[in-house]
Amino acid sequence: MDNDRPEPNESTEINQTRVGISLRTLRRERLRRRHILEQIQGDGPAGQIALDQEEMVIGRADDAQIRLSSKNASRHHVFFRLRGTDCVMVDNDSHNGVLLNGVKVHSAVLRDGDVIHVADSVFVYLEE
Amino acid sequence: MPAFVTFWGTRGAIPTPASWTRVYGGNTSCVEIRFDDTLFVCDAGSGIRELGKDLARRNPPPKTLHLLLSHTHWDHIQGFPFFAPVYMPDMRIHVYGQRAEDNRACGVLSGQMNEEFFPVSFKELGARIVADHLHDGRRLIGGVEVSSFPLNHPGGCFGYSFVKDGRKIVYSTDNELEIQPGEMFPDLRNTGPLRRMPEALLQAVQGADLLILDAQYDEQEYVTKKKWGHSSCFSATDLAIQAGVKNLALFHHDPECTDRAVDDKVESCRQRAARFGSPLSIRAAREGVELKF
Repeated sequence: MDNDRPEPNESTEINQTRVGISLRTLRRERLRRRHILEQIQGDGPAGQIALDQEEMVIGRADDAQIRLSSKNASRHHVFFRLRGTDCVMVDNDSHNGVLLNGVKVHSAVLRDGDVIHVADSVFVYLEE
Repeated sequence: MPAFVTFWGTRGAIPTPASWTRVYGGNTSCVEIRFDDTLFVCDAGSGIRELGKDLARRNPPPKTLHLLLSHTHWDHIQGFPFFAPVYMPDMRIHVYGQRAEDNRACGVLSGQMNEEFFPVSFKELGARIVADHLHDGRRLIGGVEVSSFPLNHPGGCFGYSFVKDGRKIVYSTDNELEIQPGEMFPDLRNTGPLRRMPEALLQAVQGADLLILDAQYDEQEYVTKKKWGHSSCFSATDLAIQAGVKNLALFHHDPECTDRAVDDKVESCRQRAARFGSPLSIRAAREGVELKF
């Protein structure tokens, strides 16, 4: 692969690990971050949900990627958007709002371990 | 229309990028306050750089903003030369003094761009930088009543309140709420009474929907930091309780304060508010968080 070839001006640098993996490839992997929501309370899908699309939504609507049945959830309650290496959560002017670590926010760049309340459900945001 | 508040820099003294500041952030003071299309920027610490990038992504990007500096210590101005909108010819940035002919804020922003400090001079900036002013600490800007009030900090400092349509946001950083004679300090077990607060300050922040307040230290830290111009988080909590504030954001985190230590401060302040039966909601200001009121 072209991307794995050492560039001419890098000839004096170490470009391979001992097992032959390109250091540049490893660095690219480090820049990729997996964003995960783990539901720990409430209705909806159990277990871990990968936030792997540019935009995903939690809500009651049929087209919500993460569907909740609670009447306290709005149809499109809260969006999760990937921005660079970050995941940004945005309340979609929902009726009952969104709590981040117990306090109401409109939007937030998420950090590993954040606890998110949406209607009657509780999620933990995880970075891998 | 609601008011929006976004934290772009919440740290005091010096930028502190570290694994242990990843949650609350390592950038120095910068807070955006938006009422409709009127955009206020409180302080130009290193956090203003990210604000500049975000403004460029908005549709449409704002063409006018109002910059209010609490004071001109480094951690409140150092981001200005890295704020992308200052290089945009169609941008207009009002920098406010406290009264007519008070151009000190503009002068210091300009001075830090002298060739000894920065490769681009203030005169070369593309944006129109307007040395504007409040009228003896008050002014109606874009339909928002802006008022300033003096704070207790070496060299002087100002807080600002923003009021429109019954919503009140207050930005008050770099302020030392001094312990009065006879008051319990340090109150390490959180058993003491509420501390007495300056009457003028109580009035300035009275009933705020959000009070962004200097709470750099916990009780133990403040023991050795008296007269440094910053407050204990218990004193900050006491001010907010007595002023009937609805939401308190602890601000200007100490550069040595880890994310976990910030969490501990918040928890201890919540316990204090609960002990006095206050409905006050307390959080720590956190980079990248936007609030709506």
